Amino acid sequence: MVTVDRGRGHRVFQWVNGVILTGVVIVTLYPFVNIVARSLSDENAIRSGQVNLIPRGFTFTTYEYVVSDPTFWTNYRNTVVYTVVATLIAMFLTTCYAYVLSKKDLKGRTFLIGIAVFTMFFSGGLIPNYVLITSLGMKDAIWAIVLPNAVNVFNLLIMKTFFEGLPAELEEAAAIDGMSTYGILLRIVLPLSKAVIATMLLFYAVAFWNSWFAAFLYMSQTDLFPVTIFLRNLIAGATGASSVGADAMDLTVAANIKSVTMVLTILPILGIYPFVQRYFITGVMLGAVKG
Amino acid sequence: MYQVNRRQAMLAMGAFVVLAGCGDDGAKKKTDDFSANRTGAMTDYGPGKQFKATAPLSFTVLYNNHPFYPMKKDWLFWSELGKRTNVTIQPSVVPLSDYENKRSLVIGAGDAPPIIPKTYPAQETPFVASGAILPVSEYLDLMPNFTDKIARWNLKGDVDTLRQADGRFYLLPGLHQDYWVDYSLAIRTDVLDKLGLAIPETWDDLHTVLKAMKQEYPDSYPMSDRWGVPTPGGSLLNVMGLAYGAPGGWGYRNGVIWDDTTQKFVFTGASEPYKQMLQYLGTLVKEKLLDPESFTQTDDLAIQKLVSGKSFVISSNAQSLVNEYRPPLAKANPKATLVKIPVPVGPLGPVKAGHHITRLENGVMISKKARDSKDFVAMMQFIDWLWYSDAGEEFAKWGVEGVTYTKDGPGAYKPAPDVDIVGLNPKAPKHLQKDFGFANGVFAYGGTTELLESTFSDEEKAFQKVMNARKALPVEPPHPLTDEEREQATLWETPLKDHVTQNTLKFILGKRDFGDWDAYVKELEGMNMPAYLGLVNGAYERYKKQHG
Repeated sequence: MVTVDRGRGHRVFQWVNGVILTGVVIVTLYPFVNIVARSLSDENAIRSGQVNLIPRGFTFTTYEYVVSDPTFWTNYRNTVVYTVVATLIAMFLTTCYAYVLSKKDLKGRTFLIGIAVFTMFFSGGLIPNYVLITSLGMKDAIWAIVLPNAVNVFNLLIMKTFFEGLPAELEEAAAIDGMSTYGILLRIVLPLSKAVIATMLLFYAVAFWNSWFAAFLYMSQTDLFPVTIFLRNLIAGATGASSVGADAMDLTVAANIKSVTMVLTILPILGIYPFVQRYFITGVMLGAVKG
Repeated sequence: MYQVNRRQAMLAMGAFVVLAGCGDDGAKKKTDDFSANRTGAMTDYGPGKQFKATAPLSFTVLYNNHPFYPMKKDWLFWSELGKRTNVTIQPSVVPLSDYENKRSLVIGAGDAPPIIPKTYPAQETPFVASGAILPVSEYLDLMPNFTDKIARWNLKGDVDTLRQADGRFYLLPGLHQDYWVDYSLAIRTDVLDKLGLAIPETWDDLHTVLKAMKQEYPDSYPMSDRWGVPTPGGSLLNVMGLAYGAPGGWGYRNGVIWDDTTQKFVFTGASEPYKQMLQYLGTLVKEKLLDPESFTQTDDLAIQKLVSGKSFVISSNAQSLVNEYRPPLAKANPKATLVKIPVPVGPLGPVKAGHHITRLENGVMISKKARDSKDFVAMMQFIDWLWYSDAGEEFAKWGVEGVTYTKDGPGAYKPAPDVDIVGLNPKAPKHLQKDFGFANGVFAYGGTTELLESTFSDEEKAFQKVMNARKALPVEPPHPLTDEEREQATLWETPLKDHVTQNTLKFILGKRDFGDWDAYVKELEGMNMPAYLGLVNGAYERYKKQHG
């Protein structure tokens, strides 16, 4: 009897679950499909509000237009370069830092954690940061984007927790067999940490791909901007009619150009996500179990 | 990861601007000693003269990058400018989306380029206290074209509105020869024809027209307006405010307006004309002539209602009429005709500009550091030529005669056959802004009416002709606040503005009865309105005594 009851309860739960999650999927997917439909539609159809989920006045011309803009591709390339370099640097630094912190007998460990956590709550402020980066000569260089944000404390703590959870006996055994500290890290610990590494990669890569603020602060040449700034500017140009007495000659950017740029910008992330996702799920649970 | 959101950014900038007030203002140089700053300068520069630096110079400019014509290095504008003036511009490119933030940041961090264009009047005020920008009014001797235009076009009163409490101004504004009205209402003239009605000339006429439209199409709201986000009634209350003498919406500014009869500033949101304006709109909403969503819906939604024939009247400017309304409307209903009508006349009679409207356009700030550079004089001459001489303005807007445009007689500009601008040559393969860099909002604005209207269509010129014939009220007198006063004023201004905005909507939408008006004014008084007015009028009196 008990099992049947539980089965029925379970089925109801499954049902409710299914309904709610379907709702979530629709809510998440709708704006997405809408953007894709707009990107394939005729400008006038969008203006008159006919485009919803299916493209009206189907056309590829806007894609051709955006793709033929060299600035778009320069900025796209920048985003790729910034993301790859920044993620590699961030992974290297975060892994090293986290591994060190996971050693409970490390002298000054509390202090090292302390200075990291301190930056979660306090920062120098915008202008001091700007002055610092500028006087380090990093303005208009890739370093201004990839260095200041290299260690994310939240990610650092997740990684530290993961390393702490690995059985110490493994490392001891390796040490007894004559392995050096670096050998242990490279050959024992990292191969066992694929889940957390994949998660961190995803966290960092997505964050760097989407970021625009650092580039906005420190870059002053169009061909150094990432594609996020290109996109942000387009959207502002399409909605910027509110400045009174603005130049009558400044036209707005067509609505479908916005959509096309958005689609092209999210495509790579969209392509990578499903493949990293299974690591991601294991990885993201880590912090939850052990604090 | 360390991330800064916009609010934090603004806070940080604000804090810095205040701190920077304690900067080094002590070592003041004599303003008229230019012996060390004359590199490249012309000795015989004057109005109507072509500026050409005697040595090659280069100036950095904070460049507002417009997404419609993103900056390109191979623009004819850059090379031709170099040829004519011997000056190279180094643009420090900032996306339009965040231009204002970046401008605050670089000025605050002391890293601003010498030339900071695209600054609207009053936007320079927060930087004055920091001492980071130059009081340009002290250096007008170096700018013969600028001073010449002010004298010839009688712009002294307009420019005086820029003066700060110290009697100086810190922004070189763009100058218009005449007032320029762009925003008005667009109306479906085919519907008017069908109903046998003429184009409404006054706001009362409009009421009649809307009623007739409602009778014919009972299911529709004849008027559904846009430009309500983020300022409710941004354009409508601004345009109507002109006719009533009580600017709301985009024209609300600090909430005060000059009253000619009492020779004092009064609080707009509590004034009789403002009440009348709201009563008018309240009637429209009550009779279901004006869509109550007009003040909150997105522009796209309002346009969709117009295009699908659910509404017939909407706020418009010249560009939105041609670009945003007509093409989709023509597709949805080929017989529909939409026209931008001259601003309807209200209680003030035919006016084109109220006391609060000047003929100033966005302009240029100069970084204080530039004063000490070797080529300061040449830089001022260069700015004077490019932004304020007839030749410079013509060049910035139209480019090179024979290459990008042709001209037969004064004001008769035509783009070259292979060049398009604002749809004048829609089939042309090249674009004056995108491919040549002219008519660029950073460099080209203001100037003579002739030049301004040279890109207008015939119907827009007709609109301008009607509007230009109307009278302009004299510009309000200067009333600059000191730093401490400004801080105090901001504390009072913000809640007052919020209260006015909220109640404006309540009165219009019928959520509050006009019998409550006195109670509403009392509420404003409880929020320090009299003290605020006292501050503003005190500043006006003080300025008049000291500088008037």
